[in-house]
Amino acid sequence: MRLTTKTFLLVFVALMMAATSLSAQVVGRATKGTFLLKNATIETIANGTVRGDLLIVDGKIANIGMNLTAAGAKEIDCTDKYIYPGFIDAGTNLGLIEVSSVSLTQDARESGEVKPFLEALTAVNPSSVAIPVTRVSGVTTVLAMPEGGLIPGQAALINLVGYSPDEMYAGFKAMRMNFPSSAARGRRDRRSEEDRKKAEEKKFKEITELWEETKLFAKIQRAKATDPSIRQAYNPTLEAMIPVVAGEMPLFIEVDRSDDILAALKWIKKTKVNAVLTGVAEGWRVADSIAAAKVPVITGPVIGLPTRQSDRYDRPYANAGIMAKAGVTVAIRSNDTENVRDLPFHAGFAAAYGMGREAALKAITLIPAQLMGLGDRLGSLEVGKEANLFICDGDPLETKTQIEQVFISGWEIPMNSRHSLLYDEFLERSPGLKN
Amino acid sequence: MTKYLFGCLCSLLLVLSSGLHAQGSVEDRPPVTMTFFLNNAFIVQSPGKVIDLGGLLIRDGLIQAVGKDLKAPADAKVMEADSMYIYAGFIDGLSNLGVPKPKQESGGNTRGGGRIYNPSYEQAGIHTANNVAGLLAPTEKDIADMRAIGFTAAHVVPREGMLPGQGAVILLGGDDAAKMIVRERSSLFAQFEGADGGAYPSTDMAIMSKFRELYQQARQHQSHQANYAKNPRGMSRPAQNDVLAAFGPSIEGERPIFFAVDGIKEMHRAITLSKELGFPLALADVTMAQKAIAPLKASGASLFLTMDLPEAKKAEKKDEEETDPEKKKLEESRAAAMQLHEEQAAMLAKEGIAFGFSTLSAKSKDVRENLARMIKAGLTADQALAALTTEPARMLGVSNIMGTVEKGKIANLIVTDQPYFEEGANVRYVFVDGMPSEYEVKKKKKKSAGDPAAKVMAAGTWALEIDVPMEQMSTPTLTITDDNGSLTGKIVSGMGANDISDMSLEGNNLTFSYSVDGGGQTVTVTFDLTIDGDTLEGTMSAGNFGSFDVEGDRESGPKRQ
Amino acid sequence: MFKHSLLLFLLLTVSALVAQVEKGSIHIKNGTVLTVTNGVLENADVVIENGIISRIGKNLRTPAGAKVVDATGQFVMPGIIDAHSHIALDAVNEATNPVTAEVRTGDVLDPLDVGIYRALAGGVTATHAMHGSANAIGGQCETIKLRYGTYNPNDLKMEGAPRTIKFALGENPMRVHGEGGGLMSRTRMGIEHVFRQAFSEARQYLEAQEAYARQKTSDPTAVAPMYDRRLEALGDILKGDIIIHCHSYRADEILMLMNVCKDFGIKRLVFQHVNEGFKVAPELAEFGAGASVFADWWAYKFEVYYSTAYNAAILTRNGVVTSINSDSGDYIRHLFHQAGKTQRYGQLTDNEALRLITLNPAIQLGIEDRVGSLEKGKDGDVAIFSAHPLSVYAIPQMTIVDGVVRFDIKNDNNDQRLDPDPEKIDMMMLNYDEDHRCMEGTGAALFHNH
Repeated sequence: MRLTTKTFLLVFVALMMAATSLSAQVVGRATKGTFLLKNATIETIANGTVRGDLLIVDGKIANIGMNLTAAGAKEIDCTDKYIYPGFIDAGTNLGLIEVSSVSLTQDARESGEVKPFLEALTAVNPSSVAIPVTRVSGVTTVLAMPEGGLIPGQAALINLVGYSPDEMYAGFKAMRMNFPSSAARGRRDRRSEEDRKKAEEKKFKEITELWEETKLFAKIQRAKATDPSIRQAYNPTLEAMIPVVAGEMPLFIEVDRSDDILAALKWIKKTKVNAVLTGVAEGWRVADSIAAAKVPVITGPVIGLPTRQSDRYDRPYANAGIMAKAGVTVAIRSNDTENVRDLPFHAGFAAAYGMGREAALKAITLIPAQLMGLGDRLGSLEVGKEANLFICDGDPLETKTQIEQVFISGWEIPMNSRHSLLYDEFLERSPGLKN
Repeated sequence: MTKYLFGCLCSLLLVLSSGLHAQGSVEDRPPVTMTFFLNNAFIVQSPGKVIDLGGLLIRDGLIQAVGKDLKAPADAKVMEADSMYIYAGFIDGLSNLGVPKPKQESGGNTRGGGRIYNPSYEQAGIHTANNVAGLLAPTEKDIADMRAIGFTAAHVVPREGMLPGQGAVILLGGDDAAKMIVRERSSLFAQFEGADGGAYPSTDMAIMSKFRELYQQARQHQSHQANYAKNPRGMSRPAQNDVLAAFGPSIEGERPIFFAVDGIKEMHRAITLSKELGFPLALADVTMAQKAIAPLKASGASLFLTMDLPEAKKAEKKDEEETDPEKKKLEESRAAAMQLHEEQAAMLAKEGIAFGFSTLSAKSKDVRENLARMIKAGLTADQALAALTTEPARMLGVSNIMGTVEKGKIANLIVTDQPYFEEGANVRYVFVDGMPSEYEVKKKKKKSAGDPAAKVMAAGTWALEIDVPMEQMSTPTLTITDDNGSLTGKIVSGMGANDISDMSLEGNNLTFSYSVDGGGQTVTVTFDLTIDGDTLEGTMSAGNFGSFDVEGDRESGPKRQ
Repeated sequence: MFKHSLLLFLLLTVSALVAQVEKGSIHIKNGTVLTVTNGVLENADVVIENGIISRIGKNLRTPAGAKVVDATGQFVMPGIIDAHSHIALDAVNEATNPVTAEVRTGDVLDPLDVGIYRALAGGVTATHAMHGSANAIGGQCETIKLRYGTYNPNDLKMEGAPRTIKFALGENPMRVHGEGGGLMSRTRMGIEHVFRQAFSEARQYLEAQEAYARQKTSDPTAVAPMYDRRLEALGDILKGDIIIHCHSYRADEILMLMNVCKDFGIKRLVFQHVNEGFKVAPELAEFGAGASVFADWWAYKFEVYYSTAYNAAILTRNGVVTSINSDSGDYIRHLFHQAGKTQRYGQLTDNEALRLITLNPAIQLGIEDRVGSLEKGKDGDVAIFSAHPLSVYAIPQMTIVDGVVRFDIKNDNNDQRLDPDPEKIDMMMLNYDEDHRCMEGTGAALFHNH
């Protein structure tokens, strides 16, 4: 047998799978049906805190109120329990990376600088071990993002239930862009300031050209619609950019440094793209400008180091709150893969350092839903919305709180993951010590 | 003919630029005399001890006499020193002067690539047996550069690795390495420089450990050898090991180990090693020492502060006053950090800690400016002078032969036209081992004085003084005639008369040029002068011969308007 | 004679090098005091005199000259201890040999690292400044106190703390010296051999020294074995003078090292990271080995793919002395929050969770008689929080080391650097968190490299 890359890959994947099935990877089946959650404290997010029952039918929240009944419903007693809308993480690599140091398990970072035709959804692995680990924490919906280059590709919102990417798809895509920056990439970046500025300028030029070419390409395409004799060469890059340049598809612009944020705001104003700023680690420095530009922000991680040695130690914690107070629409993301489950803690730190609990909760529920145009479907507990929610025994931003049951699109999720199954197996290991 | 002319020009240029130093001269003539006399100078014998308008006699490399009322002996070359200042030549506490950089090995391992396991001493950067005396190249340009700013002696060490080898005190002049050496094997040199190519030791922590191990092994080796010498029979023979043997004098407390330290943390590391192992310590290229007063005092280390300072911020446009309070604060902390460096010497002096200077990482072109910055930050001129002369002489163990201007010491001297540490002072001669180098005065062109809007008259007779070492040319007379705005002139000197046809006056800036015949070759002489009332000043440039300062007074002609 | 003089030297240096560290007196009033060893005391005072806790109780008198801190409504806990950190270090890995037992991070402490201040702002008062994980036998580590403000590296050292050394198993030494250097340690088999060979050679060395000591009294021709710092350090491990802290992940390699240690009579052993420690918790408990784990890190490389955030809980319930560490310049700033995660994953009690970042790491570092709980006679290392430190809403208010306030949120200024660049003002860098990592200095720059 010729050992080609492909066969090697196959063997490798087979090995991984074999290993996977050896351990207790199977977490059980989700079930769909009618569920009646009784006597809960319901944090609707949209309409305050309500005491009563919540009815799930056909994957939707069918009713919220006192003393509800439903024929054939599975009743869950929620006395002394709380119901929250499922948390939404608007920036992750979940599903795209399995083991970050094993390059062949990484699907987030394709070669090349400009690749808008790439779709993260294609590479989302529904069997990623991190998915059950994440959803049992109450994070029900995440944006899976491609990485790398100037235009990494299209991010896709997924619900953390389902056996195919299409099944998981939650109805939102956005183009990503890494905004050019002359900042050094960490201490190992040995490029001179001049070289970094040159690289930045080159990228700006690339963007300008991309926008001009896309406009021309779109014009030719329109002309072709009425005159089939017009010829147009295959150009997937420009094809994919058309909705972005037209302001139809949202553009998620990753930008952190304050100067770069201001440059991005200027560029957004000029190009009139439908933009959201992501990352925005130094948003606190220019919060008023962001607010004035009315460009929403998805920031995170909150739990992280300041961007400059001279910065106050708590700037990353306080960043979201400072922006929100200035009037910026702020969602919080984890920017993580295997620990997207930390999302509520990122919100917790933001809450403690000035944002307040209510705003922080919104920043991982309703605000990301609205940012992505899904405010009528996700992000709060309201009749008619998708049944993405969870039952817990306290404040879900607190580490002490247990998440007891999660529903995603009305599916009652098995509350198992590799982590909990290993706990079950090894808390009292049997056989124990060999004697 | 052309060849001859070229030779002439060359020697002329040499005379002009690097003075009477015979080295490198095409005609390798011995010097006329080795006796020099300087008179009527302010002689700073040692910091704070000055002879006003005294004389100094140098003979055969030594200071023969110093004091008032001396007479020039017949065999002496009398050097122009009237009202000038004479100092003991400066001594550099640690540098690589005269030690050529090793050639880059081709295809050498880059860090992180291949690894060298169990490296040899050589690969590990341990060259204790290396003697800098064998590496000296008198023609290295850095020697002449440092001499030009007054350094006459230096403690020099080899370059590479954690233990590059043994240092020597050398004189910064002459063309014979052997004659340059004053004290050979005067130090063992160490630095926190990891081995190349992924060999151990690569980090400071391994260097620390390796140093301890070598030192203890050296002790062990020493005692083994001693025991073997007493009683060889039946005892295993100690192996010959020059690397370990080189620690011997330091173990005996006789030879200091010099550590060049990059920052205060490395300084503490060196102190730690010295304390643990008990060797006499000298620290060079020291920064931020004022933050380590107590440990420094306790260590008893000889201290050489770096002559390198962080680059001073260029004065930015004043109209861009920083308004961003955050940037303003950062700028303040940056300035405070800068002050830590600039005031190090002053703070140590205040604490009564003795120190010299080292130039290992300093560029000669920055040294005088950096000294000025330290003085501005509180160091007195006397303290600076001590740190450049008496203190290094003492700490390097050569104070009996250098460091002051006293009879019997090596004639290492600096002669300046104004006190050395004052702005605008020029080094005129530097004597190393009794051999003078002469330097032209480089006055800054006072461009700013040129004012195109000023109204002056150029006509009249001007007595010029040109700072050129050819006497015939040094005091010419310039006559300018103004014919309704059209200027012509004539310049008369010991070399003859020249008519000047194209003179131009813009504002107060007078320029003109003429050609002279320099032994078959035409040389264009250009004047660029600024007239202020009845005086003028500026420069004269004469082709390849260089540029010279010009001053002049109007002796007759139209009065100022 | 040689040996004797060496000892004398060491003794002299230890006393000479212990710098005069600053000690203070503080009266903390009326807080909720989480003692860790003696329960929770409401409305209680903690009095520190000259750097040492002198009294804990209600309505205590303020000693003369003591600073008074009102902790009404606040929570007072022992200063947090991080059993695995790389802050305050100028070098982490001497990645030039699979065995570098002789090097010491204590020689490359960096008191100017602003990361020290940031850790203080997270309630941390002591850390284990560890060598990295590039070598199977890495360097000796230093237990330090976060006395930020000093320019003298030696001031950071926690005087009297036992010696420790870093070992490493699995992927990191396999990659650096196996894949990278072509040496034995390409596999977990080879790594075991590195240990056995190193200890056997050290044993030989000790025997040769003993033989010399016996021989020299009667035989003038006796020659001491050539001094070898690497073998000296390894010999000190065999003698029980150094605690091994071993970077480890997989259950099999954890068992392997315990077996090696048993064979060489080594008893003081703590496993670091030990992601699959939960699988061999009974064996760890039986050996008496400690476990210092991440709260929830996993899946960043293959050897941590089969791990669980319930690790700390399983280990604790099985009687293993367990701590939670940071191994990060960021996570060290919220170890209280990391400890809180053991309540989500395994429902540890408040006190069990707090022990993971106080007394247990102190035990693992051999300093539990000095720090790790609030008790009379212990060092005055205290952290004060706005709320219960295991709450996500808790904000550290004040951190005290030896009775000296090293962080006070009320006096916090933006710029806490001790050595700003004199040439230019601070610029932002992207990917800042590459610092303070286990694999620093090995040329490997992967995302997670613990």
